[in-house]
Amino acid sequence: MLLEILLEQCWPSMGSWERPSQLLQMCLLERYQRAASIMLRLPTVSRALSGVAHIKGSVAVTINVRTGATAAPATASNQMEVFVDGKPVMVEPGTTVLQACEKVGVQIPRFCYHERLSVAGNCRMCLVEIEKSPKPVAACAMPVMKGWNILTDSEKTRKAREGVMEFLLANHPLDCPICDQGGECDLQDQSMQFGSDRSRFSENKRAVEDKNIGPLIKTIMTRCIQCTRCVRFASEIAGVEDLGTTGRGNDLQIGTYVEKMFMSELSGNVIDICPVGALTSKPYAFTSRPWETRKTESIDVLDAVGSNIVVSTRGGEVMRILPRLHEDINEEWISDKTRFAYDGLKRQRLTQPMVKDASGQLVTTSWEDVLTRVAGVLQGAQGTNVAAIVGGMVDAEALIALKDLLNHFNTDNLCTEEIFPMAGAGSDLRSNYLLNSRIAGIEEADLLLLVGTNPRYEAPLFNARIRKSWLHNELRVALLGRKVDLTYTYDHLGESTKVLQDISAGTHPFSKVLAQAKRPVVVLGSAALQRDDGAAIHAAVSTIAQNARVSSGVGESWKVLNVLHRVASQVAALDLGYKPGVEAIKKNPPKVLFLLGADAGCITRQDLPIDSFIIYQGHHGDVGAVLADVILPGAAYTEKCGTYVNTEGRAQQTRLAVTAPGLAREDWKIIRALSELAGVTLPYDTIEEVRDRLAEVSPNLVRYDDVEEANYFQQANQLAKAVNQTVLTEPLVPPQLSVRDFYMTDPISRASQTMAKCVKAVTEGAHVIEEPAIC
Amino acid sequence: MLNSVRLQNQSWLKMAEYLQVFRRALGQLRGHGGVKGLMVQLFRANDVKTGALIGVDKYGNKYFEDTRYFFGRHRWVIYTTQMNGKDTMWNVDGSMVPAEWHRWLHCMTDDPPTTHPPVPKKFLAEVHQFNVSGSSQAYVPYSTTSKKIHEWVPPRVQ
Repeated sequence: MLLEILLEQCWPSMGSWERPSQLLQMCLLERYQRAASIMLRLPTVSRALSGVAHIKGSVAVTINVRTGATAAPATASNQMEVFVDGKPVMVEPGTTVLQACEKVGVQIPRFCYHERLSVAGNCRMCLVEIEKSPKPVAACAMPVMKGWNILTDSEKTRKAREGVMEFLLANHPLDCPICDQGGECDLQDQSMQFGSDRSRFSENKRAVEDKNIGPLIKTIMTRCIQCTRCVRFASEIAGVEDLGTTGRGNDLQIGTYVEKMFMSELSGNVIDICPVGALTSKPYAFTSRPWETRKTESIDVLDAVGSNIVVSTRGGEVMRILPRLHEDINEEWISDKTRFAYDGLKRQRLTQPMVKDASGQLVTTSWEDVLTRVAGVLQGAQGTNVAAIVGGMVDAEALIALKDLLNHFNTDNLCTEEIFPMAGAGSDLRSNYLLNSRIAGIEEADLLLLVGTNPRYEAPLFNARIRKSWLHNELRVALLGRKVDLTYTYDHLGESTKVLQDISAGTHPFSKVLAQAKRPVVVLGSAALQRDDGAAIHAAVSTIAQNARVSSGVGESWKVLNVLHRVASQVAALDLGYKPGVEAIKKNPPKVLFLLGADAGCITRQDLPIDSFIIYQGHHGDVGAVLADVILPGAAYTEKCGTYVNTEGRAQQTRLAVTAPGLAREDWKIIRALSELAGVTLPYDTIEEVRDRLAEVSPNLVRYDDVEEANYFQQANQLAKAVNQTVLTEPLVPPQLSVRDFYMTDPISRASQTMAKCVKAVTEGAHVIEEPAIC
Repeated sequence: MLNSVRLQNQSWLKMAEYLQVFRRALGQLRGHGGVKGLMVQLFRANDVKTGALIGVDKYGNKYFEDTRYFFGRHRWVIYTTQMNGKDTMWNVDGSMVPAEWHRWLHCMTDDPPTTHPPVPKKFLAEVHQFNVSGSSQAYVPYSTTSKKIHEWVPPRVQ
């Protein structure tokens, strides 16, 4: 009886249980689907955001090269309406089905399509159904037509994808457990998402011979799905026709046809764009999995471009370096030196403070000992007896700390290794030493004059940008200097300095071309400024730029004069008031010389008095450490938060990815500790306070990812005309002429075994490099 | 009447007990050589026990036995205050017991080396060594993994 009452009481509520649970289930399902769509949409959102940043960051007129090449210019009137799964979207004519879907946030699976490469349409993974169309179409290659309804998740679409995936997997080895792409493989991901749940394949799989294309890229060609992204990258972005396809159908193979090295300074990027594990990194092979590593977003400092990178670390060790998207600098590529020189961070490191003992041998000691010694030496020397030289990879925090410290000892003898002529306006006007047009600005130029530089090896990403503009915007390039392979055609004006003077005087035939240019850009390589007649060359280029600017009639916002630097710290050092070049030190040899990461060998013991005391602070035992009486171990760029200003004048910061090895410490902290012991305590204890000090001296140094406009070209040119220096007759020859000069340029890359292998491979051939024969 | 006798008996027994304790305390005092010796023993060994001195090894460690204590606590050592040049007044260590006494102390045998001298073996150390764990002489096995960071070795000066 009681039970019955209870049941009766419960019954209504139990009856209504059914419906809420169903509702809940539906809600969950809907939420799940929404989450899935958000997940798919994420990349497009970030891309859209970066596009906004691009517009904000660059000058008023922005022409996107890729859309300019594939789509007609946008006008509101001729937009047309198409539908993606019934949702209306307005697109421009010429938009592909895939782009229309991206616009509403639906991502179509793809292997061969890459937004920075030409459309190949050969993987067929992007097949979608169009309503009332008899066959599914390849979304990446098919332009939309008015009123189309694209069905991205219909039964036919899903079946098409499943079929394509089945064919792709038919000849793909099942070696995911030993494949280096595992965890970041498009084929793995998409076969989970779109593939069939069972195999009908019982025949033999095709096998392809592996190719040896150098010490950087490992090929397991059996895994290749013939998307030809690497072939298109090589021919379009890298500009080397090394990769191609042979055979057809089932026998289609990617390779170099004859065994040779894939000789490009951007070759590592094919590892990233390869959707499967056919092209993987040789130095990274079998070392770690993507889910084991911690990613730190940082900046590269091996050249002056400041490529954005991701440092993958595991257990306090840098495992690899990958590019990070920055539309204004490196897009999504990085150079091989940036990518593969990381093993140099683990070799030849200074891990303990060292001093010279009585016999002159460097022996390890403690920080207390070494700091008190250096502080004592600094206290004993004043004025012209103290000087400092800073190298190419020093962060702005260390630069300001060292400058503040030495200024306390009444000296302003702080020099950079790289020379910049101080005659005329010198470094007083920022526009004199910046790449004022910016890297992305090259896409808007119609004429580019390169003077005494080889951008392909001095700034590979800048060269890639020139090539992009040359390819899509018909940029005309002229080179004054040694004839080198720049991966694009150019007018070679000769390598004589006479030509430079003729152009600046307006008597050279090229002056007419320059005068007709609408948006001219003149780029002067910093290598040309290292000569004795650097000031005269800078003055001549300044005149050329000023004349071209006047004749082109472009507005104030368009910059013509550019200086392309080669080392990462130079712009920040000049911003902070360092003297460029060690000439002042050679004239007045100091008793105490502080080398901060100075490894270019600008100064030797012979230039200094016998009893001079040399302090070396840095992270590698290279040229500078050998000279030193005292070694203070500092941190490399992956081991500190540091500010670097790239050649455009864009301040960016590296992030701490791993701790510095041994007793090594962050550079500004060492100098701060030293100042306390020397009795002139610097007024900052935290990195924020150092940056406040940086902002006091030069506010642009802490406005991260922002380019401070530099101007006064006319005034700089007038001051440059006052320079009375004769131009020497020596030809303009940049130091990096061939690819073998590219790999080892700084202490990190000189310590790298991978880079040494590259040099060996390009001089003796890829076959001489011994590789362990595993897999 | 009977009750009062029992009470009297009980109080006598109590008295005898107190006397016993007093006698034991005196024995302890005498056995450790006065109040100072007793305190030193208490602080060094965290225990005060008297027993038969079975033997003294060549370093001065004294070995005692008292079978009134239960098994496991019936043999003990009072360490010497100086051994192998090390001050062991307060810094005592189990490894100060030499090999020949170790057997007896750990009840592996009832024959102390005083009555049954050990058979000479060439692996028995002439001078007993302490345990070196935690000191600079401790054994450290070499690493089988490669170094993560290779440091710079400065060039040798001739």
